[in-house]
Order: sequence, then C-alpha cells, then structure tokens
Amino acid sequence: MKFGAVLKKAGAALRQPPVLLGEGTIPIFKVGSLLLLSLLIAITAVLLSAAAQSIDYQGEDTASEAAHRAVFVNNRFPSAITCKTCHEDHYREWSVSPHAYAQMSPVFNAMHGTILKRTNGTNGDFCIRCHTQVGTNLGEPLFISNADRHPVSREGVTCIVCHRVNRAYGKESGRVKIVEGDLFEPVYGPTGNKELRRVLESDEYQVNTERGKTGRAIHADARKFFALVKPGFCGTCHDVNLLNGFRLEETFSEYKTAPAAGQGITCQDCHMGTEPGRPSKYAVAPAARIGDVETKPRKRTGHMFPGPDHSVIHPGIFPHNPEAAKLAAIREWLAFDYEAGWGTDAFEDAVSDDAVFPERWNSVDDRYDAREILDRQFELLDEYLARRKLVLQAGFTLGKVVTEQADEQGIRFKVQVKNGTTGHGVPTGFDAERLVYLQVTVTDRDGKVVFQSGDLDPNGDLRDAHSLYVRNGELPPDPYLFNLQSKFVIRNVRGSESERIIPVNPSFDPLPFIRPLTQSSILLGRPVNVRKHRMNIEPNGSRWAVYEIPGSRLTGNGPYAANVKLIFGMVPVNLINNIKEVGFDYGMSPRDVAEGVLAGHVTLWERDVAFHVSAKDGKAVR
Amino acid sequence: MRMRVGLSAGMVLALLVGCFPVWAGSGSRDEGGPQAKEMESFSRLSDIPLPLQVDDVPDRPALLLELGEPFLGTGPFGPEIELPTGAVWRPSLWVFGTHRMAVQTADDGATRVSEWAHRLDLFANLKLSASERLLIGLRPLDRENRFTGLSVEPDGDFRDEFNAVVRTLFFEGDAGEIFPNLDREDTGMFDIGFSVGRQAVLFQDGILINSGGLGNPDAVSLVRNNLQLPGTSNVRISGFFAWDNVYRDDNQLDPDARLYGLFTETDFSFTTVDLDLVYVESGRDTGDAVFAGLRGVQRIGPFNTTFTLNASLPINRETPQTSRGTLVFNEISWTPSHTKDFLYLNTFWGIGEFSSAIRGPATGGPLGRTGILFAAVGLGRYGAALGNRADNAAGGSLGYQMFFNRTRQQLIVELGGRTQTNNRVVDGDAFAAGLRYQHAFGRHFVVQVDTFGAVREERDPAYGARLEWLTKF
Repeated sequence: MKFGAVLKKAGAALRQPPVLLGEGTIPIFKVGSLLLLSLLIAITAVLLSAAAQSIDYQGEDTASEAAHRAVFVNNRFPSAITCKTCHEDHYREWSVSPHAYAQMSPVFNAMHGTILKRTNGTNGDFCIRCHTQVGTNLGEPLFISNADRHPVSREGVTCIVCHRVNRAYGKESGRVKIVEGDLFEPVYGPTGNKELRRVLESDEYQVNTERGKTGRAIHADARKFFALVKPGFCGTCHDVNLLNGFRLEETFSEYKTAPAAGQGITCQDCHMGTEPGRPSKYAVAPAARIGDVETKPRKRTGHMFPGPDHSVIHPGIFPHNPEAAKLAAIREWLAFDYEAGWGTDAFEDAVSDDAVFPERWNSVDDRYDAREILDRQFELLDEYLARRKLVLQAGFTLGKVVTEQADEQGIRFKVQVKNGTTGHGVPTGFDAERLVYLQVTVTDRDGKVVFQSGDLDPNGDLRDAHSLYVRNGELPPDPYLFNLQSKFVIRNVRGSESERIIPVNPSFDPLPFIRPLTQSSILLGRPVNVRKHRMNIEPNGSRWAVYEIPGSRLTGNGPYAANVKLIFGMVPVNLINNIKEVGFDYGMSPRDVAEGVLAGHVTLWERDVAFHVSAKDGKAVR
Repeated sequence: MRMRVGLSAGMVLALLVGCFPVWAGSGSRDEGGPQAKEMESFSRLSDIPLPLQVDDVPDRPALLLELGEPFLGTGPFGPEIELPTGAVWRPSLWVFGTHRMAVQTADDGATRVSEWAHRLDLFANLKLSASERLLIGLRPLDRENRFTGLSVEPDGDFRDEFNAVVRTLFFEGDAGEIFPNLDREDTGMFDIGFSVGRQAVLFQDGILINSGGLGNPDAVSLVRNNLQLPGTSNVRISGFFAWDNVYRDDNQLDPDARLYGLFTETDFSFTTVDLDLVYVESGRDTGDAVFAGLRGVQRIGPFNTTFTLNASLPINRETPQTSRGTLVFNEISWTPSHTKDFLYLNTFWGIGEFSSAIRGPATGGPLGRTGILFAAVGLGRYGAALGNRADNAAGGSLGYQMFFNRTRQQLIVELGGRTQTNNRVVDGDAFAAGLRYQHAFGRHFVVQVDTFGAVREERDPAYGARLEWLTKF
C-alpha cells in the first residue's frame, strides 16, 4: 500500500466515530451525555469552591526554623558563598552580574507579578523559573518579597544553576534540572578533573572532601560537561518560548542563523572573554585559590556577563556581598540612607547629637562599617557599568549622517544605526522592553532649539504611544522617533492589532488564560492572539532614521547644528507604570524605580553635524 | 413567543443601559498613581512607595489533570529520558479545555430558535520537551453544527451529540532539538520545525484558511523560523501539505482534496507582512484552484491597521467549492484619548465570488473578522446577525469596545451593514446593531450576554439574545 493511501486511511479512521459512539439514538449514550454534563457541573462546582479559598502561605519562619531550613537548603543547593571560598574572583564578577541580579530586580518581580495577575495565575512559574531556579525548586510562593525568600533563592542564576547541570537540554526555556547535593557532590565544568586531582593529591592545599571532617571542604570531583562551552547551553535560558506558543526571547535562535555561528564564534567568546561584546581572547588565570595557594593558570572565563540590565536597588543589598549580609538584613539595609551620607566624615561630623536613626543604625561605628562596605559596592557597580557600556557599544554603532537637503525650504537629513555584531540581531532577547533610540537636537547659531526628537517626557519616557503624557494629551507624540524596541502586539477582538506593554490580551478575552496552544505553535510561529513584532536590526544590517525640519521652523540664524546621540535604556518608564499595580519590592515608589532606570540610560555614541543653509541655489552643504 | 423574546432582549438591554453609569464612573484613564502634591499632573509617576500587593496576585490554578510535572508549577522536576539522539525529554500529560453553555433565542426572519446548548473543547497535551509535544483534542458534545442540549424551538427535544471523534491529533517538534548531536556546534542547519497529524489551521485572519476546530485537515508542515534576511527583523517560511479531511469553501468535506501551501510572515520595522500561497488539488466535481493572500499589519500614527487582499482562482471551472473572486478587507482601530478602549472600523469589498481554501464546518463565510455581527458564536444554532459570505458584497462595521474593572468586564457596541454589489441577492442588503457584554468571575468563569437586531432587504427583521456561561479549566 502506498504511503499516501495509508495516511488517508488513518485519517478516515479518525474521522469516523467509533461504532459504539453513534448518533445518540441509543439510550445508553443519552445517559452518557448526561453523565458528562453532570461531570462538567461537578467540575464547575469544584472550581467555584477552589476560587473561594485564599492563598495559604505560612509566611516567615521562626529563627530556629530558618536556621534549620538554611542548612537543609544548602545541602541541596549550595550557595555561591560556599563557592566563593576558593573561587573568590569568579564570585566577585558574578556578584554584580545580571545573573546575580535576576531575582533581585524589582522591575522583574513586578512584571512577573503583573503577568501572573492578568493571566489569573495561569502563567505560573514561567517567568520566575529562570530568575530563581533554587526558589522554584524549593516551591517558594510565586510572588513574595525577596526579603522573605531563602538567601540562595535570592542569588538568582547562581553558580549551581550552570555548574550543577549535566545534560544538554536545548531550548528548554530555563526548565532545566539542577543536580542536587551539598558541596561535596561533583560539579560540572569545561575542563574536567585533571587540575582538581592534582590539588587533591598534593599536600600543599590541605583540603577535605568528606563530610564531617575538618579542613577546607571542596568537591571531590569536577566532571567535564562538554555542552557548557557551547552556545546551546546559553540557549537553554536565552530562548524563551511559552507553552502557549508565545516566543518572548529568541537570542539563541537568532544566533543559529547568524554569520557568527558559521564562523565558529560562540556566545561565550563574546560574553565571557576579555573584551565585552567582541570575540576576544580569554584571560589566563588560576581557577581557584585554596587558602593562599593558587591552582595552575588556565583559560579563565569572565563571569560578570555585562549586558543591558543594571541595578536600581539599594547598594547594601546588591551586589551580593556576604559581609553586607552579615552586617544587616535586607530590611535594615533599606533603612540605611546612603544618599544622605551616613557613615561619611562629612555627614557624621555635622550630624546633631539628637538626630534619630533606625535602631540598627544608631551606632556611628555601624554606619561607618556600612559605608566602608558600600564604597566597595560602588566600585564594583562602576566597574560593571563601564563594561556594560562596552558590550552595548559593540552591539550598536552609529553609521553615516547624510544631509539630503539644507536650504530655505528646510533641512532633511538621515542617520544610520548599524548592528555591530554578527552574533544576533540587536537589540536581542527581551527586545520588546529595550530602548535603543536616537536623540536628535538641532539648534541655530544662538543655541535656540529648532527641532527635537528622542527627548523624554517628565516621567522619562519617550514621547511614543505609551507615554502617559502623550496618552493623556499633555504632550504631542514624537513623529520622528527612532527606537529599535520591538513591540508586543495583541489581536483586538476586532480592529487590527495593537501594541501592548504587557503581552496579555484582554481584548479577546476578559479572562486571559495560559494553556498549551491548541494549534501547532511551530506552524504558526506564535499564538493567534498575541505576538511580538520584532523590530531589531539583523546581523550586518542597518536602519536609517529620517528627519525633516520645515523651512518655517528655521530661524534664519544659521549655521544650524545637530547633535545626534544613540542612547540605550534598560526598560521604558511606561513599563514601570504598567506593572505598578502589584507594587514594588523594597518599599520603592514607581518614581524611585523610574529614576533608577533613567540613571542607567547610557549614551553609546554621539555625533555633531553642521548644516550650512544655502539661501540662493538650495544646494545642500555640510 | 415573539413577545417573550422581545421582552427578554429588552430586559437585557435595560440591564446593560442601567449599569452603564456605574461602569463609566469607574473610569479607565491611565494615571501615574497617587500624587504627593495635589498640583502634580496625573500623568506623573507617583513618589509614594507602593509595597508589594502579594494578596492581589493569585496562585496557579491546576489543570484538570496533571501527570508528571505540573503545568508551569514550582517544585523539582521529575524523571527524564535521554534519547539516543541526545535530546532530553521529560514527559508530562496535561488535560485542559473549556466548557460553554448558553441559553439563547434567535429569529432569523424565517425560523425562530430557542435552545440550551453545550460545547466542550477537551485537550490532552503530552509534553515531551519545550519544543516537542503530542496534542489530542475532542469536541464530545457537538458535531458539525449540532450541539448537545435542549431545543425548545422549533422542534422541542433533547439533542444528544455525544461523540469521541478525534478533532485534533498531531505531533510537533524541531529537528534540531530532537537530533542535537547532529549539530553539536549549534550552527542551526537542522533547525527545522515540523508538525504532522490532524491540526487546526488559520491563515490570513481566517479569510484564506479557517479549519475552525471541527474541520482540521490531516497535514504535515515544515517550518523555518528566525531567518533574519537583509532589511528584515524576522522571516518565517512554512511549507504545508494536507492529504485528507480538507473542508472546502462550502463548509463541506471534500474527500478528494489535497492542499499544498506556502505560508510566510515577515517582520519589517514598520509592518508585518503575511504572504500565503495555496494550491488545492481535487476531483472533477469540486475542482482545483489557486489561492493567494497578502496581509500587512502596522500602526500608522495612533491607528492600528490591517490591510488584507485575498484571491481565489479556479484552474478549470467554477464549482460550488471554488469560484473566482477577490476579497479586500481592512481593519482600523484606535484608542480614544484618556481611555484604554478601542474604537474600530472594519470594511470589506468582495469582488466576484471569493472562496476560501479551507473552511471548516461551523465557520461560515470569510467575513467573521468584520465584526461581532458577522460572526456566529460557535455554539448552537444562534447565527450571525449579518451574512458572512463575501460574494459580490461590500460593507463594514463600526464598533466600540469598553473595558471596566481592569478589563475583567467589557462591553462591545457595534453597528454593521452590508450590500450586494450585483443584482443577485444572496444575503441581501442588511443593517444591524448588536451588543456584547462579558464579565469574568473568579479565576475560571466568564458570563457573556449578546443581543442583536437586524433589518434586511426582502426578509423579515432578525433579532436574538443569549446568555452564556463559560468555564475554563
């Protein structure tokens, strides 16, 4: 029988109802149908009663419970602090990284909570699974303050999230299994056991690999995990596809079709090398320092992973710092007013004796101790921000600025923005919430502004359709806005598709539910009712922004000067407004969060251009 | 009975109109939060700390059945299987679906229908990995256009449509994920997605292809996604072949039909373009035909717009399943200032007799996207207020969708009309007004109220009202 005929026969069999399940003329099946309806009514009743129940979370542990729990958890999921004992440099880099910040971010927490709320809880652990693998493994509540999470949960993408994984999962959207066990259990790394065996056999290091014995505790085995050095390992989290078919982030998929993949350049080459964002060499350094003795130098990958995100929270709680954690708890740190200068000579010398401080910070010595820690924190944060700028500069470049017209009729010019990498589109990943915009200001000879685009409203938003000031008619939209941010788009119940800051579609359904797609998500590439309109620049590609200034806006006081800035922002402020409905962690206000975000807007490239307006022949002159 | 129907519809309208001031008072202006100073703009983001509203965020509701790991649930993962190919699978079975139940009455000018009808969409998803799964779907309470329930008018009988016909049964996956060892350097050469089996399909917003759940073809597809060609941000190309269970434009099964499709979607920075080409090969009676669809979706200033052009071309001769024609379909909407609502204006122009490549049973004609007045509710015999066939016709709808209570309540008010552009009267000229109110209750339920009235050329007026209870699980 031919293959086509077999398929056809199988299809016909599916189409035909089984003999016993006929047209409903047999009484037993009328009963069957009634039974099914009764079952549905019972399910409805159960769901109704479940809806009436409140969330049952037990809250914070007592001190003794917390201590026991900490030991128990550390035996399953060792903290990064445990690894720090021998891998101090790795820890330092990781502690300020986006991986370490993943769960601490108040923006993430509020967005995760908002999506949960708007999907009636059906989004479950989808967002938070990557951000705190340990917390979700422990079964912690989906939405609570980080202050109430286990310290290892707060570490986000901590050491074991990569080094206790022993399988190549592929595009699993972060749902990978961590091999549980305490410090003595094997870890997984790129090179295997050779150097570790030398350490164990040497008397020089005085290490202990057995539980209950004294000496520097270390793991007895470092197993080689081939996949760890391959792009696919990054792809387990950096390709984020929801089970309803929604494709949130596709960095790894982009990489696989990009020139870099064909050239053998890996994610690690650009993001763990010495030069952020470029396929550079790796450092050569010891992997560990045991006591005061270093292991042999080898290829040493960077673990800071500078990227688009940056901290907006109190420097006492991020970067992760065991000394800071030892000095004060999260809520105590939040009461330390570092901006007022607490713990500095200038402040402490001037403060009056009757000044009132929170109980934890009554002692001037404690304030000085705290300041000492904060100074080191600031130093580390500055180092991160400098490397962040480098990686962003590698991704985005400012190309040509071309003047097409400069005469009495007006000025017309265009600006080119290019993708500086061959590894993926830019922006990539969470590109629907990344701002990459041109800020263009044209002034006359006296500095009077005759044209502006890419300027921010009083909240710090671009004047696009999501600016509150624009939506409420207090500011006009920016018709020339150039922004590479992709857009979440929902399919309205009728009337095309519209942009949405949160990718949940209420137009089609007053009760949005996340369930597996009932069509092929691969064939359609997305769910029918919500998608991402990708607007990033492909590898080796570029986009042009075109600006036109009509003659009526020229003052006649030339030459005119254009200042062009290419600016990157972690998230738009309108996102802050959209996620405020579930509140912000650490007692922050929406404006606090927005100001933190705006502080991280970074000018990647800047260019000045002059326009000499010709009065007679209209010929453009630069 | 006519009097009773009129009274019911009148009561529904009175209820909605009566509630309107309460909803309107709730306001939907977007604000930056409470302001510390009275003189601040309401657009300004608030300086007042907003602590986490933990109690406002619901827990995950479990599915009807979860074997293996819970659907998007916390906790450690269960056992895994590593295939010889290198792929890691963690099987889990999830059963979910929706149940719809409605009490409804409608008079299309010739026949009055009053009924209590049920529909159950039941799915079992066997998840193997994030990209591989097997999905099976049943509609055990309805078949074709017949639904289990009580028919009061015109016949007065309990209808039992209990069945176990498999409506959906397909496997989908990604070759690169199933055979990772073939591409250890991750160059993407095997990143080809595929689906095989009985699967729902919808292209060009349902104008070109809409299998509708009951008329899912048996098909295989090969898909290449994430292509970043010069000047584009993303390109998806899908090849598609359906060998059986193909329903044609007359909503009837064509046992001889085979369908070949090439579907593309491209993201440019200013628009998303879908270009779809289809060839249907069939017997002499139903006829071969070529179909094409072009659709652009973009935002132009404050306007959301979709422009769609679809055409059908029989190869030999026109048949009831295939005729020659073009359908121009446009959608525009925008959000009025100071609101979060949508105002929409949709128009269509059918030149000739456009036919779709696939139209499943109960999907009617291709104009359902025009408005709620043009689409059947998909439950029972409560039909569309206005005809949804596009043959030699033009028309449109003007509607307003309002949101209340953070979108958990919504109201759509719509006006619609259509006219024939030739002398043949198919659906006739008609004008209708309709209203839909939806209210979500708890975390599983939606109550929906619909009502419409229509006046039509050479036919009696039509009207209808219905109350639906929807349960999601």
